[in-house]
Amino acid sequence: MEQKLTDLELIQNILAGEPAQYALLVKRHQRFVFTLALRFSKNREDAEEIAQDCFVKAYKALATFKQTSKFSTWLYTITYTTAMTFLRKKRLDTDSIHNEETLLQLENHTSSFNANDYEKLDSHTFLNQAIGQLMPDDAAIITLFYKGEQSLEEIGEALHMEPNTIKVKLHRARQRLKEKLQYLLKDEVKELL
Amino acid sequence: MNTIEQQLWEYIDGTLDDSAKKALEAKIAADPEIRTQYEDLLKLNSVLGALDLDEPSMSFTRNVMESVALEPAPIALKTKVNTRIIYAIGGFFVLSLLVILTYVCLQAKISLGDFNLTKKLEFNLDQYFTPTTLYVFLFADLVIGLIFLDQFLRRKAHKN
Repeated sequence: MEQKLTDLELIQNILAGEPAQYALLVKRHQRFVFTLALRFSKNREDAEEIAQDCFVKAYKALATFKQTSKFSTWLYTITYTTAMTFLRKKRLDTDSIHNEETLLQLENHTSSFNANDYEKLDSHTFLNQAIGQLMPDDAAIITLFYKGEQSLEEIGEALHMEPNTIKVKLHRARQRLKEKLQYLLKDEVKELL
Repeated sequence: MNTIEQQLWEYIDGTLDDSAKKALEAKIAADPEIRTQYEDLLKLNSVLGALDLDEPSMSFTRNVMESVALEPAPIALKTKVNTRIIYAIGGFFVLSLLVILTYVCLQAKISLGDFNLTKKLEFNLDQYFTPTTLYVFLFADLVIGLIFLDQFLRRKAHKN
Protein backbone atom coordinates (compact mmCIF):
# COMPACT_ATOMS: atom_id res chain seq x y z
CA MET A 1 0.00 0.00 0.00
CA GLU A 2 1.32 3.43 -0.93
CA GLN A 3 2.52 5.44 2.04
CA LYS A 4 0.81 8.77 2.56
CA LEU A 5 3.25 11.63 2.11
CA THR A 6 3.31 14.44 4.66
CA ASP A 7 2.61 18.05 3.66
CA LEU A 8 6.32 18.88 3.87
CA GLU A 9 7.30 15.92 1.69
CA LEU A 10 4.74 16.93 -0.90
CA ILE A 11 6.03 20.51 -0.88
CA GLN A 12 9.60 19.32 -1.34
CA ASN A 13 8.50 17.19 -4.31
CA ILE A 14 6.64 20.13 -5.87
CA LEU A 15 9.66 22.40 -5.45
CA ALA A 16 11.86 19.69 -6.93
CA GLY A 17 9.82 19.80 -10.14
CA GLU A 18 6.66 17.78 -9.59
CA PRO A 19 3.89 20.42 -9.67
CA ALA A 20 1.16 17.80 -10.24
CA GLN A 21 1.56 16.74 -6.59
CA TYR A 22 0.00 20.05 -5.59
CA ALA A 23 -3.38 18.45 -6.33
CA LEU A 24 -2.83 16.15 -3.33
CA LEU A 25 -2.20 19.14 -1.07
CA VAL A 26 -5.32 20.87 -2.42
CA LYS A 27 -7.48 17.79 -1.85
CA ARG A 28 -6.12 17.43 1.67
CA HIS A 29 -6.87 21.00 2.75
CA GLN A 30 -9.69 22.18 0.47
CA ARG A 31 -12.57 21.40 2.84
CA PHE A 32 -11.03 23.31 5.68
CA VAL A 33 -9.94 26.29 3.57
CA PHE A 34 -13.39 26.41 1.99
CA THR A 35 -15.13 26.27 5.39
CA LEU A 36 -12.90 29.02 6.72
CA ALA A 37 -13.59 31.17 3.65
CA LEU A 38 -17.30 30.52 4.13
CA ARG A 39 -17.05 31.81 7.72
CA PHE A 40 -15.86 35.15 6.32
CA SER A 41 -17.91 35.47 3.16
CA LYS A 42 -21.16 33.81 4.34
CA ASN A 43 -21.76 32.85 0.73
CA ARG A 44 -20.75 29.63 -1.08
CA GLU A 45 -19.84 31.22 -4.42
CA ASP A 46 -17.62 33.83 -2.79
CA ALA A 47 -16.11 31.22 -0.47
CA GLU A 48 -15.22 29.04 -3.44
CA GLU A 49 -13.57 31.98 -5.19
CA ILE A 50 -11.63 32.91 -2.04
CA ALA A 51 -10.51 29.32 -1.46
CA GLN A 52 -9.41 28.91 -5.08
CA ASP A 53 -7.52 32.20 -5.00
CA CYS A 54 -5.92 31.15 -1.73
CA PHE A 55 -4.57 27.90 -3.21
CA VAL A 56 -3.21 29.70 -6.28
CA LYS A 57 -1.46 32.27 -4.05
CA ALA A 58 -0.05 29.50 -1.88
CA TYR A 59 1.29 27.73 -4.98
CA LYS A 60 3.00 30.88 -6.25
CA ALA A 61 4.57 31.55 -2.86
CA LEU A 62 5.41 27.93 -2.06
CA ALA A 63 9.16 28.55 -2.37
CA THR A 64 8.95 31.21 0.36
CA PHE A 65 7.22 28.86 2.83
CA LYS A 66 9.53 28.51 5.83
CA GLN A 67 9.22 24.88 6.71
CA THR A 68 9.55 25.62 10.42
CA SER A 69 5.78 25.95 11.00
CA LYS A 70 2.85 23.81 9.90
CA PHE A 71 1.79 24.18 6.26
CA SER A 72 -1.84 24.41 7.42
CA THR A 73 -1.08 27.44 9.65
CA TRP A 74 0.64 29.16 6.71
CA LEU A 75 -2.28 28.28 4.44
CA TYR A 76 -4.85 29.64 6.90
CA THR A 77 -2.89 32.91 7.11
CA ILE A 78 -3.21 33.19 3.33
CA THR A 79 -6.92 32.31 3.55
CA TYR A 80 -7.47 35.05 6.12
CA THR A 81 -5.66 37.75 4.11
CA THR A 82 -7.28 36.61 0.86
CA ALA A 83 -10.73 36.73 2.44
CA MET A 84 -10.08 40.19 3.85
CA THR A 85 -8.84 41.48 0.48
CA PHE A 86 -11.81 39.89 -1.27
CA LEU A 87 -14.30 41.49 1.11
CA ARG A 88 -12.57 44.85 0.78
CA LYS A 89 -12.72 44.57 -3.01
CA LYS A 90 -16.41 43.80 -2.86
CA ARG A 91 -16.71 47.07 -0.98
CA LEU A 92 -18.66 45.50 1.80
CA ASP A 93 -19.25 47.83 4.65
CA THR A 94 -17.00 46.49 7.41
CA ASP A 95 -19.23 48.01 10.03
CA SER A 96 -22.16 45.98 8.86
CA ILE A 97 -19.98 42.84 8.70
CA HIS A 98 -18.89 43.29 12.25
CA ASN A 99 -22.21 44.44 13.53
CA GLU A 100 -23.56 41.31 15.05
CA GLU A 101 -26.89 42.89 15.92
CA THR A 102 -27.58 43.73 12.27
CA LEU A 103 -26.62 40.19 11.31
CA LEU A 104 -28.89 38.72 13.93
CA GLN A 105 -31.79 40.92 12.86
CA LEU A 106 -31.30 39.90 9.24
CA GLU A 107 -31.24 36.26 10.25
CA ASN A 108 -34.36 36.73 12.33
CA HIS A 109 -36.20 38.14 9.37
CA THR A 110 -35.14 35.42 7.01
CA SER A 111 -35.51 32.43 9.31
CA SER A 112 -38.99 31.24 10.00
CA PHE A 113 -38.43 27.97 11.77
CA ASN A 114 -41.08 26.44 13.90
CA ALA A 115 -41.14 23.41 16.15
CA ASN A 116 -41.95 21.07 13.27
CA ASP A 117 -38.92 22.25 11.29
CA TYR A 118 -36.62 21.58 14.22
CA GLU A 119 -37.49 17.92 14.09
CA LYS A 120 -36.20 17.67 10.54
CA LEU A 121 -32.85 19.18 11.36
CA ASP A 122 -29.98 17.66 13.25
CA SER A 123 -27.68 19.38 15.73
CA HIS A 124 -25.08 20.13 13.02
CA THR A 125 -27.55 22.15 11.02
CA PHE A 126 -28.34 24.27 14.05
CA LEU A 127 -24.70 24.59 14.91
CA ASN A 128 -23.78 25.69 11.40
CA GLN A 129 -26.63 28.16 11.47
CA ALA A 130 -25.53 29.54 14.83
CA ILE A 131 -21.90 29.76 13.68
CA GLY A 132 -23.10 31.55 10.56
CA GLN A 133 -24.65 34.21 12.77
CA LEU A 134 -21.42 34.90 14.61
CA MET A 135 -19.01 37.66 13.63
CA PRO A 136 -16.56 36.41 10.98
CA ASP A 137 -13.57 36.50 13.34
CA ASP A 138 -15.42 34.54 16.04
CA ALA A 139 -16.65 31.96 13.55
CA ALA A 140 -13.14 31.59 12.12
CA ILE A 141 -11.59 31.17 15.57
CA ILE A 142 -14.09 28.46 16.51
CA THR A 143 -13.49 26.66 13.20
CA LEU A 144 -9.71 26.90 13.50
CA PHE A 145 -9.74 25.72 17.11
CA TYR A 146 -12.09 22.79 16.71
CA LYS A 147 -11.53 21.67 13.14
CA GLY A 148 -8.15 23.04 12.14
CA GLU A 149 -6.18 21.35 14.92
CA GLN A 150 -4.52 24.70 15.59
CA SER A 151 -3.18 25.88 18.94
CA LEU A 152 -4.01 29.36 20.26
CA GLU A 153 -0.53 30.49 19.14
CA GLU A 154 -1.07 29.14 15.63
CA ILE A 155 -4.53 30.73 15.37
CA GLY A 156 -2.94 34.00 16.50
CA GLU A 157 -0.35 33.64 13.73
CA ALA A 158 -3.01 32.94 11.11
CA LEU A 159 -5.29 35.81 12.14
CA HIS A 160 -2.50 38.26 13.03
CA MET A 161 -3.49 38.48 16.68
CA GLU A 162 -1.87 37.78 20.05
CA PRO A 163 -2.56 34.31 21.55
CA ASN A 164 -4.11 35.96 24.62
CA THR A 165 -6.50 37.93 22.42
CA ILE A 166 -7.43 34.67 20.69
CA LYS A 167 -8.05 33.04 24.08
CA VAL A 168 -10.42 35.83 25.12
CA LYS A 169 -12.09 35.89 21.71
CA LEU A 170 -12.55 32.11 21.74
CA HIS A 171 -14.24 32.31 25.11
CA ARG A 172 -16.52 35.12 23.95
CA ALA A 173 -17.26 33.30 20.70
CA ARG A 174 -18.34 30.16 22.56
CA GLN A 175 -20.52 32.23 24.87
CA ARG A 176 -22.19 33.92 21.91
CA LEU A 177 -22.57 30.61 20.13
CA LYS A 178 -24.30 29.15 23.16
CA GLU A 179 -26.66 32.13 23.31
CA LYS A 180 -27.47 31.83 19.63
CA LEU A 181 -28.08 28.11 19.95
CA GLN A 182 -30.37 28.77 22.87
CA TYR A 183 -32.18 31.38 20.82
CA LEU A 184 -32.47 29.08 17.80
CA LEU A 185 -33.57 26.05 19.74
CA LYS A 186 -35.20 27.74 22.68
CA ASP A 187 -36.18 24.93 25.03
CA GLU A 188 -34.79 22.21 22.79
CA VAL A 189 -31.19 23.28 23.36
CA LYS A 190 -30.93 21.26 26.52
CA GLU A 191 -32.07 18.11 24.80
CA LEU A 192 -29.82 18.71 21.83
CA LEU A 193 -26.70 19.27 23.88
CA MET B 1 -12.51 39.17 34.63
CA ASN B 2 -12.23 35.43 35.05
CA THR B 3 -15.75 34.06 35.44
CA ILE B 4 -16.52 30.50 36.47
CA GLU B 5 -17.60 29.76 32.88
CA GLN B 6 -14.28 31.01 31.55
CA GLN B 7 -12.46 28.84 34.07
CA LEU B 8 -14.56 25.86 33.05
CA TRP B 9 -13.68 26.43 29.38
CA GLU B 10 -10.00 26.70 30.25
CA TYR B 11 -10.33 23.49 32.24
CA ILE B 12 -11.95 21.75 29.26
CA ASP B 13 -9.27 23.13 26.89
CA GLY B 14 -6.56 21.99 29.31
CA THR B 15 -5.00 25.45 29.67
CA LEU B 16 -5.50 25.85 33.45
CA ASP B 17 -2.44 25.59 35.67
CA ASP B 18 -2.27 22.81 38.27
CA SER B 19 -3.36 24.81 41.31
CA ALA B 20 -6.33 26.42 39.52
CA LYS B 21 -7.23 23.03 38.09
CA LYS B 22 -7.34 21.40 41.53
CA ALA B 23 -9.38 24.29 42.98
CA LEU B 24 -11.88 24.07 40.13
CA GLU B 25 -12.16 20.29 40.39
CA ALA B 26 -13.05 20.76 44.07
CA LYS B 27 -15.71 23.33 43.12
CA ILE B 28 -17.18 21.01 40.49
CA ALA B 29 -17.36 18.19 43.02
CA ALA B 30 -18.87 20.36 45.75
CA ASP B 31 -21.30 22.57 43.83
CA PRO B 32 -24.06 20.81 41.81
CA GLU B 33 -24.81 24.02 39.88
CA ILE B 34 -21.20 24.30 38.69
CA ARG B 35 -21.18 20.59 37.90
CA THR B 36 -24.29 20.98 35.69
CA GLN B 37 -22.71 23.99 33.99
CA TYR B 38 -19.52 21.98 33.43
CA GLU B 39 -21.44 19.05 31.95
CA ASP B 40 -23.34 21.39 29.60
CA LEU B 41 -20.12 22.99 28.38
CA LEU B 42 -18.54 19.57 27.96
CA LYS B 43 -21.45 18.52 25.73
CA LEU B 44 -21.20 21.70 23.67
CA ASN B 45 -17.47 21.11 23.36
CA SER B 46 -17.97 17.59 22.01
CA VAL B 47 -20.65 18.78 19.56
CA LEU B 48 -18.26 21.47 18.31
CA GLY B 49 -15.52 18.89 17.96
CA ALA B 50 -17.78 16.69 15.84
CA LEU B 51 -18.82 19.55 13.56
CA ASP B 52 -18.59 18.71 9.85
CA LEU B 53 -16.59 20.79 7.42
CA ASP B 54 -18.28 22.21 4.34
CA GLU B 55 -17.51 20.65 0.99
CA PRO B 56 -16.56 22.81 -2.01
CA SER B 57 -17.85 21.95 -5.48
CA MET B 58 -16.76 18.70 -7.18
CA SER B 59 -14.62 20.59 -9.68
CA PHE B 60 -12.74 22.56 -7.04
CA THR B 61 -9.39 20.71 -7.25
CA ARG B 62 -9.54 20.65 -11.04
CA ASN B 63 -10.25 24.40 -11.17
CA VAL B 64 -7.34 25.12 -8.84
CA MET B 65 -4.97 22.91 -10.87
CA GLU B 66 -6.06 24.61 -14.10
CA SER B 67 -5.30 28.04 -12.62
CA VAL B 68 -2.03 26.76 -11.19
CA ALA B 69 -0.99 25.36 -14.59
CA LEU B 70 -0.90 28.92 -15.94
CA GLU B 71 1.63 29.94 -13.29
CA PRO B 72 5.38 29.28 -13.47
CA ALA B 73 6.36 26.23 -11.44
CA PRO B 74 7.67 27.15 -7.98
CA ILE B 75 11.37 26.45 -7.52
CA ALA B 76 13.27 26.12 -4.25
CA LEU B 77 14.91 29.45 -3.35
CA LYS B 78 18.35 27.83 -3.29
CA THR B 79 18.23 27.14 -7.01
CA LYS B 80 16.84 30.58 -7.75
CA VAL B 81 20.02 32.37 -6.59
CA ASN B 82 22.23 32.99 -9.58
CA THR B 83 25.87 32.39 -8.62
CA ARG B 84 27.05 34.74 -11.38
CA ILE B 85 25.43 37.65 -9.52
CA ILE B 86 27.30 36.70 -6.37
CA TYR B 87 30.60 36.49 -8.28
CA ALA B 88 29.93 39.85 -10.00
CA ILE B 89 29.30 41.58 -6.65
CA GLY B 90 32.41 39.96 -5.14
CA GLY B 91 34.49 40.94 -8.17
CA PHE B 92 33.29 44.53 -7.94
CA PHE B 93 34.44 44.83 -4.34
CA VAL B 94 37.79 43.17 -5.04
CA LEU B 95 38.36 45.53 -7.96
CA SER B 96 37.44 48.56 -5.81
CA LEU B 97 39.92 47.49 -3.15
CA LEU B 98 42.64 47.01 -5.75
CA VAL B 99 42.02 50.48 -7.22
CA ILE B 100 42.20 52.09 -3.77
CA LEU B 101 45.34 50.12 -2.92
CA THR B 102 47.02 51.10 -6.20
CA TYR B 103 46.13 54.74 -5.66
CA VAL B 104 47.59 54.70 -2.14
CA CYS B 105 50.79 53.03 -3.41
CA LEU B 106 51.18 55.58 -6.16
CA GLN B 107 50.75 58.47 -3.75
CA ALA B 108 53.18 57.04 -1.20
CA LYS B 109 56.79 58.32 -0.91
CA ILE B 110 59.21 55.42 -0.91
CA SER B 111 62.31 56.09 1.18
CA LEU B 112 65.16 53.63 1.65
CA GLY B 113 67.44 54.81 4.53
CA ASP B 114 70.90 56.17 3.54
CA PHE B 115 70.34 55.82 -0.09
CA ASN B 116 67.91 58.73 0.25
CA LEU B 117 66.03 57.39 -2.69
CA THR B 118 62.90 59.46 -2.60
CA LYS B 119 60.70 59.08 -5.46
CA LYS B 120 57.30 60.40 -5.88
CA LEU B 121 55.38 58.74 -8.53
CA GLU B 122 53.37 61.31 -10.30
CA PHE B 123 49.79 60.42 -10.92
CA ASN B 124 47.44 63.25 -11.57
CA LEU B 125 43.91 62.21 -10.71
CA ASP B 126 42.44 65.64 -11.37
CA GLN B 127 42.44 64.94 -15.06
CA TYR B 128 39.87 62.20 -14.46
CA PHE B 129 37.57 64.20 -12.16
CA THR B 130 35.96 66.22 -14.91
CA PRO B 131 32.32 67.41 -14.84
CA THR B 132 31.52 64.75 -17.46
CA THR B 133 32.74 61.87 -15.22
CA LEU B 134 30.79 63.36 -12.35
CA TYR B 135 27.60 63.48 -14.46
CA VAL B 136 28.14 59.91 -15.66
CA PHE B 137 28.68 58.78 -12.07
CA LEU B 138 25.54 60.56 -10.83
CA PHE B 139 23.51 59.26 -13.77
CA ALA B 140 24.59 55.66 -13.04
CA ASP B 141 23.63 56.19 -9.38
CA LEU B 142 20.24 57.49 -10.41
CA VAL B 143 19.62 54.49 -12.69
CA ILE B 144 20.64 52.02 -9.94
CA GLY B 145 18.45 53.87 -7.44
CA LEU B 146 15.46 53.71 -9.80
CA ILE B 147 16.01 49.97 -10.37
CA PHE B 148 15.98 49.35 -6.61
CA LEU B 149 12.91 51.56 -6.13
CA ASP B 150 11.12 49.67 -8.89
CA GLN B 151 11.98 46.31 -7.32
CA PHE B 152 10.84 47.54 -3.90
CA LEU B 153 7.50 48.82 -5.21
CA ARG B 154 6.91 45.61 -7.19
CA ARG B 155 7.57 43.53 -4.08
CA LYS B 156 5.23 45.69 -2.02
CA ALA B 157 2.49 45.51 -4.66
CA HIS B 158 2.97 41.73 -4.86
CA LYS B 159 2.57 41.37 -1.07
CA ASN B 160 -0.69 43.34 -1.14
